[in-house]
Amino acid sequence: MTDATITTAPELIRAAPELPDLLPPIKLRGGILGFARRHPAIAIGGALVLAMVLIAVFAPYLGTVDPTALAPTRRTREPSAAFWFGTDMLGRDIYSRVLYGARVSLTVGFSVALLASLAGLIIGLVSGFVRWSDGIIMRVMDGMMSIPPILLAIALMALTRGSVGNVIIAITIADIPRVSRLVRSVVLSLREQPYVDAAIAAGTRTPMIILRHILPNTVAPMTVQATYVCASAMIVEAILSFIGAGTPPTIPSWGNIMAEGRALWQVKPYIVFFPAVFLSVTVLAVNLLGDGLRDALDPRLAKRL
Amino acid sequence: MNRRAFLKSVAGAGVLTAAGALATPAISQRAAARVLRFVPQADLANFDPIWNTQYVVRNGAALVWDMLYGVDDKLQPRRQMVESEQTSSDGLVWTFRLRGGLKFHDGEPVLAKDVVASLARWQARDNMGLMTKEIEQELVAVDDRTFRWVLKKPYPKLLVALGKVGTPSCFIMPARIAATDPFKPIGDYIGSGPMRFVRNEWVPGAKAVFERFADYAPRQEPNSWLSGGKHMLLERIEWIVMPDPATASAAIQNGEVDWWETPIADIVPVLKKNRNVMVDIADPLGNIGSFRMNHLHPPFNDVRARRAILTAMSQEDYMRAVVGDDALWKPLPGFFTPGTPLYSEDGGEILKGPRRLDAAKRLLADSGYSGQPVTCVVAQDLQITKAQGEVTADLLRKLGVNVDFAAVDWGTNAARRAQKSPPGQGGWQMFHTWHAGAVCIDPSSYTAIRANGDKAWFGWPTSAKVESEITAWYDARNLDEEKAAIARLNKAAIEDVVYAPTGFFLAYQAWRKNVDGIVKGPLPFFWGVSKAA
Amino acid sequence: MIRRILATIPVMVVVALFVFSLLYIAPGDPAAVIAGDQATPADVERIRQSLGLDRPFLIRFGEWLWHILHGDLGTSIFTNLPVAAMIAQRVEPTLSLMAVTLVIAICVAVPMGVVAAWQADTLIDRAIMAFAVLGFSVPVFVVGYLLAYVFALELDWLPVQGYTQISEGLWPWFENLILPALALGCVYIALIARITRASMLEVLQQDFIRTARAKGVGQTRILFVHALKNAAVPIVTVIGIGVALLIGGAVVTETVFAIPGIGRLTVDAILRRDYPVIQGVVLMFSFLYVLVNLLIDLLYTVLDPRIRY
Repeated sequence: MTDATITTAPELIRAAPELPDLLPPIKLRGGILGFARRHPAIAIGGALVLAMVLIAVFAPYLGTVDPTALAPTRRTREPSAAFWFGTDMLGRDIYSRVLYGARVSLTVGFSVALLASLAGLIIGLVSGFVRWSDGIIMRVMDGMMSIPPILLAIALMALTRGSVGNVIIAITIADIPRVSRLVRSVVLSLREQPYVDAAIAAGTRTPMIILRHILPNTVAPMTVQATYVCASAMIVEAILSFIGAGTPPTIPSWGNIMAEGRALWQVKPYIVFFPAVFLSVTVLAVNLLGDGLRDALDPRLAKRL
Repeated sequence: MNRRAFLKSVAGAGVLTAAGALATPAISQRAAARVLRFVPQADLANFDPIWNTQYVVRNGAALVWDMLYGVDDKLQPRRQMVESEQTSSDGLVWTFRLRGGLKFHDGEPVLAKDVVASLARWQARDNMGLMTKEIEQELVAVDDRTFRWVLKKPYPKLLVALGKVGTPSCFIMPARIAATDPFKPIGDYIGSGPMRFVRNEWVPGAKAVFERFADYAPRQEPNSWLSGGKHMLLERIEWIVMPDPATASAAIQNGEVDWWETPIADIVPVLKKNRNVMVDIADPLGNIGSFRMNHLHPPFNDVRARRAILTAMSQEDYMRAVVGDDALWKPLPGFFTPGTPLYSEDGGEILKGPRRLDAAKRLLADSGYSGQPVTCVVAQDLQITKAQGEVTADLLRKLGVNVDFAAVDWGTNAARRAQKSPPGQGGWQMFHTWHAGAVCIDPSSYTAIRANGDKAWFGWPTSAKVESEITAWYDARNLDEEKAAIARLNKAAIEDVVYAPTGFFLAYQAWRKNVDGIVKGPLPFFWGVSKAA
Repeated sequence: MIRRILATIPVMVVVALFVFSLLYIAPGDPAAVIAGDQATPADVERIRQSLGLDRPFLIRFGEWLWHILHGDLGTSIFTNLPVAAMIAQRVEPTLSLMAVTLVIAICVAVPMGVVAAWQADTLIDRAIMAFAVLGFSVPVFVVGYLLAYVFALELDWLPVQGYTQISEGLWPWFENLILPALALGCVYIALIARITRASMLEVLQQDFIRTARAKGVGQTRILFVHALKNAAVPIVTVIGIGVALLIGGAVVTETVFAIPGIGRLTVDAILRRDYPVIQGVVLMFSFLYVLVNLLIDLLYTVLDPRIRY
């Protein structure tokens, strides 16, 4: 009750006196540190991911130079004071490329997670609610799942040209079946619940049912699933670059820095080493985050995700 | 015994007595000495050297099929399958007599009619072959060992055409196989050369196997490149395709392969340090890098824009990007192979000296360029084109050009470069490639130097001056006249910028110390090579 | 059961149509690559015609379907060999790699997961799970290069690359597959370990376990006989889903270790636009996937009698 209600209510109705506080206010014990102690996975994972995002966003201010500036005369120099991570086969500064590469890899990861989740959500909902479409949609999803994602991505890459957008689309398409299956299973199990039945009986239209009953229950598994999709998308991007079907070389990403340096890894291991470390740490962090969220939100999900 | 052999015997004994199977290596130690394991430059997907003109196909074909003539290390054609030839005094009638005792791999003798059929098939696909077809009056087998070739005009370079290294080389096949349409692949690989192709062990994309043909009769001469006696000291050669250079590098260090055709220059220091591996230059004729511009559409339809590129480009940048730090490259102010008799630097001043970015920007502005996107098609799966593409993109950015970088694979590149449509509609303005030095010695196989507009190679340059000098070269009667013609040709080609040469570069080859007889040459020569245990 | 099998046919038709249309739209011209650098546009056109590449989409698709139904997968554009023969040549290495990877992964991951579940929330559990997560955080080729460098080049315990056919000896065959299987298996081990732990955790809470323990049944027996059998269903599901993952990872592993398998064949074919090979291989993959999932469904009926078709 706000002051507004008191002042605008008619004279005859007087606000009840304030009740004494029977229960102490809920306080997060120990604040952030307490949270971290109870959910170490979320804390560590989240902190690392945040660090990577910050690195990506503030890359121009962290002592970097133009990541695409070539200087073939000073190619493959070892890490030194001038070039913290060394230079690659075309003389470009690896430190700058790795930091700017964070932008691409993180963009790919997050975009794929977002797009796949959205598309999977829509498809899963349709499949769960519109019963006659369920069979067809699931068969199509099955078909898509039977094509190995890497091969699908290469084929889609061969369709046009290498670009960040194409990489995102290719990996997203490969991940949609997973998300849609998850949403569909949530919808199917919830559809049988008594309160949903009651809502239908009361005449609530389907969109409202979806909004108020189904969606809130999909948030938890979908969030966890999204983190896994993000992590795997970043790895798939690296593998696509390895095969030569990833982002174009003018835009550095961890995947294509490693791919370019792979022939030399025995002589100049630092070209592959630094992006590999950054990629692994980021993917690890995202996975940890996902595990932590899953355990915090609903440990039973562990059996399915 | 090395560690692996020891572990193998212990573990093998343990695991396999349990499993009841015995680990018998397929080839015993002694026999292994006669097997050479070679890592080729690319995959041997099919094996018709007339239908498919890739270098790797020619390299394998050189083992399986013999040629009428073969060039030596001075690039002079020498008799190979031919015993003697006679020319009429007017140069119009050529009569050839084949050596005796030549056999195909199925035991049949090589007859003149097989030669005639093979020549006909080769003519349909080869530049010089087409020229001979145009002036041909008659090509016929006179008897089993003699054939006659009658021309309407003299063609002094006939023997060079028959013995050359440039693809497609003129290989001799049985008549029934040579009857196959030159635009369709042959189905049978019966050859006339020193090794047989073992078809049932062929795994396209992974492995190809050759075995010595016992009935091959080599000439009794020392061999020199494609000429002389092709004496095989090996019983069996296995070509093992390795898509990953790091794997090939580890394999040759470990002794799992014996000869690697194309080690990357950066890995070479590690190989040189290994006591069991030798490294040397592969082909003294090297390669010429090529930056092709599209002469049909803006901005490069204006010679000033093309000259802007030559003014600003740094061959050192290109070459270092392609071959690394070593002294494997030379600047190339021209279009012909350094170290050959016809090499010329005439007109190449624009490529020499400090680079002039401002002058280049002015030239570009003069040509009318005003910021439109310019499409640069770069194949990502070939290291040489990829490296050159990135240097070009950087160069263009420095010149203030709006670059549309199309990162594709070679298949798409090959398709796209054939499009004459404007860039906005699937066309292109730039792509990169390279040419083998062996082909760039003179205009005979050098399709990339032609400037006859629509009929020219991709880019379709037009330059009357270049074309007339090419004709002058064909008409030249001696070496001095040839040199003069080439010098003028070089100057004209640079003035009109037929394409932009990015430099001259060499490559290495690597082999294990127990392999003997490896020579430098435009392709890997397996005759005379032996392997100690 | 029959209905399940029949239901898979539309799946494969969908896949076939999807792949075929994708390739049809894709740019890139195998005829141009074959014709080579010196060819004129007229030459390329002649080659394209002789390969039948200039006919309309529906005709080519229809013709292909017709051939498939007669067991003819077509002829490769580049090698001129029958696609079925090419696939048959390259199947053994890939299947061997996948089989060995599966076996190694299961043998390593299931005990890992069981131990982690048993020691839930202790240091051992966290260590095992951290190790497992690391498994799918590092890209396959990095792991591959590291393993090859350490075990093959430096220590010389195993070969760097290649594949030996099983007909040439059991140990040489296995020797060539150890490193690739370990590299490929990392991801798989991580997944299986996690699912095993989660599933076991749930089963271990149940009453019948407490009963068994009260009866004095030994710990190992409880874990591996009673609990695992009941936890098996989700584990087996993950194994099935993971086959598609394996195929993708196999492509990279085959490249790094120079194994002449189907993965490399497919990538080479896609990059060259060797349409018949691509179509044949993708069809084969979807068939394999369907088969594996069918087997898994059968396995469910064995593991959990409540499930029936």
